[in-house]
Amino acid sequence: MVFGTSSDAGGGSSRTLRSRRSLLRAASGLGVAALAGGTLTGCSQSSSGATRVRLWSWLTGMDQYVAAFNASQRDVHVELSVIAAGTSGGYAQQTNAIRAHNAPDILHTEYQALPQIVTTGGLRDLTDDVADLADGFLPAAWRSVRPDGRTWAVPMDFCPMAFFHRKDLFDKAGVQVPRTWEEFAEAAAAVRRTDPRARITTFPLNDGAFFAGMAWQAGDPWWRVAGDSWQVGIDTKGTMGMAGYWQDLVSSGKVAHTPTADQSWISSLHQGRLWGMLGATWGVGVMKRSLPTAKGKWAVTTLPTWGDKAVNGAFGGSAFAVAAQSEVPEAALTFLRWLSTDPAVPRIGAKVTFPSPAYLPSRKVAREAYKNEFFAGEPLFDVFDRAATRVPDWTWGPTSLSVFSSIADVLAPVPTGGTTIPRALHTLQSSTVATMRERGLAVRNGGRA
Amino acid sequence: MTIAVNSQQEAGELRRPSRPRRRFTGAALAAPFAVLLLCTVLVPIGYALWLSLFTDRLSGLGFDGYRQVFTGLANYTHVLTDPAAHTALGNIALYALIHIPVMFGGALLIALLLNSATVRLRQIWSLAVFLPYAVPGVIAGLIWGYLYSPNIGPLNEALPFDPLGSGGVLSSIVNMATWQWMGYNVIIFYTALQAVPREVLEAARADGAGAIRTALSIKIPMIRPTVFVALMFTTIGSLQLFTEPMVLRTFTGTVTSTWTPSLYIYEAAFTNNDYGRAAAASVLLALASALLSALVMRLSARRSR
Repeated sequence: MVFGTSSDAGGGSSRTLRSRRSLLRAASGLGVAALAGGTLTGCSQSSSGATRVRLWSWLTGMDQYVAAFNASQRDVHVELSVIAAGTSGGYAQQTNAIRAHNAPDILHTEYQALPQIVTTGGLRDLTDDVADLADGFLPAAWRSVRPDGRTWAVPMDFCPMAFFHRKDLFDKAGVQVPRTWEEFAEAAAAVRRTDPRARITTFPLNDGAFFAGMAWQAGDPWWRVAGDSWQVGIDTKGTMGMAGYWQDLVSSGKVAHTPTADQSWISSLHQGRLWGMLGATWGVGVMKRSLPTAKGKWAVTTLPTWGDKAVNGAFGGSAFAVAAQSEVPEAALTFLRWLSTDPAVPRIGAKVTFPSPAYLPSRKVAREAYKNEFFAGEPLFDVFDRAATRVPDWTWGPTSLSVFSSIADVLAPVPTGGTTIPRALHTLQSSTVATMRERGLAVRNGGRA
Repeated sequence: MTIAVNSQQEAGELRRPSRPRRRFTGAALAAPFAVLLLCTVLVPIGYALWLSLFTDRLSGLGFDGYRQVFTGLANYTHVLTDPAAHTALGNIALYALIHIPVMFGGALLIALLLNSATVRLRQIWSLAVFLPYAVPGVIAGLIWGYLYSPNIGPLNEALPFDPLGSGGVLSSIVNMATWQWMGYNVIIFYTALQAVPREVLEAARADGAGAIRTALSIKIPMIRPTVFVALMFTTIGSLQLFTEPMVLRTFTGTVTSTWTPSLYIYEAAFTNNDYGRAAAASVLLALASALLSALVMRLSARRSR
């Protein structure tokens, strides 16, 4: 404030003098404020009497949820700092903060990253705090925050996978939307026959979390908790079957293998060179943003299945954890309970994004609140509710984030024939086991005992 | 030794009674620098050295947090025997082998052209050459990434190879770095060329040397010290190559998560949370940079003799 007036004033020697003095005053004031801030940080009561809770998140719409929460009551005041999305720097920032003992009270984590963040020792065990919520959540989401039977985070949303496709082009070409992966391979060939430059989808080889989501559907979890040790089985039957299938499609050129959701991908969608996307609930927002003019052309359905097993993978979804260092865990949990279960949240979410709450009653609210004007075909919530209930057991490992980045590395030579997806998975299995053992973890090599 | 110091001190006290105060002034004037050096350079280096001797050891499922254990030089042996680190080093060596000659050759040529008497619009040319340096590295990376991308950039179809494929990505990164840094070196060389004494050039001309002969035999040898300093900067910069490959990673999987030593360190620290190994790799990279710069400086000293 003082700075503003002094610089606005300008001109005239007396003015300059005064402004210099006010500058000095402002500077000393800042010093005092900094000192006061320094002493205040230990104490969490803000001047209004509300308990201050610090939150780091990159969730779309979080600013609006926080504003609504702060307006709805006077006991807890949440301060949001928007950080970079997970693997783009958010996880690094949070684990560094935990290490430096200045973590915020609430941390943002996707399910796939949670166990790795738990290994920093920086999260509060929430088992007793939120035990009463156990039955409220989608089973897959609830299991994802309880890798070892202790609860480490509160689920917020959950993202089952889906097959987004150009309904108009499929209809025009007379290609059936595939229900099984067998039909999908035939459809892929049919799409290429119809338009030699077009592909049914891309199978992004640089996206480890996507690849893991596809493996999730195939039915052999990569990690299992067996007593006090990890059982690691990445190159087991289910995943290897899935890998061989995609190897065939990629090497025969029936699908593209370039990244999803970058500029080049959006351009391919615009030109009708990609007829589909393997994505998850967040794809609704991505499609609408990337293709504002394609209203009514796209539809969504559950992932094609392996044979007649009605199973669906998942790809993403956020949960929120409380830092072990937090001095205000109760206040933090008050906010997290509100964020995960209050009907106001999906109502706000329906305006800014496509909400896919992990809390079952909130899914009903979201379904009523969300207005779909973009997608044709089956109603979105029918598709995603069906997909969400089909998500099988899965446990993420304590080095998942490293594994995702290794997946991109080992799959990179696939397009040029330098390796095959199944061969790359054997490499991945042994490097994952080696890395885990090196960190001191108890590991059993291989799938089911 | 002690005697000498004592006698010097005595002599000093005799001649200049105010010396202790002066010494205090000197210390006070040096203090800001010393404090900054201590806080921003020495302490972090010391901390990195300290960290590199430890590792965060988990146990069981790992959910009860880690214990920091002293492992001596184990992190160093891990990095030195890690095939991923070797690949990163190989990549960076190849990169430097192509990037440095191409960029230095180009920059010298342009600087000599700018310096020659016949060039018109010199200011505009030098500005034009320098402009890429003014583009922030990440932005430049994105621009080139888009130019290389299939479907949106023209280069993917114009080039006989895929600039984002395994055979082309190295030259793509060399191109990005050369584009960005060439102008910077041109300005350095050009400024040095301006300082070459006119008399020497006139004498050369009087002896019958043409423009090319003057450039090769007079100008380049005279700016050799500058070229070596620039070479040292570029060598260190090459070893630390990070921005370009990091940005290209979002466009292609060909650039792996450990493609250069800096990426290797980033991956170790921020994806694997293996801070000890990251610290050890950083120390090794710093040592390599120091050795290489010393080598370059020594070469320069030998040449200029």
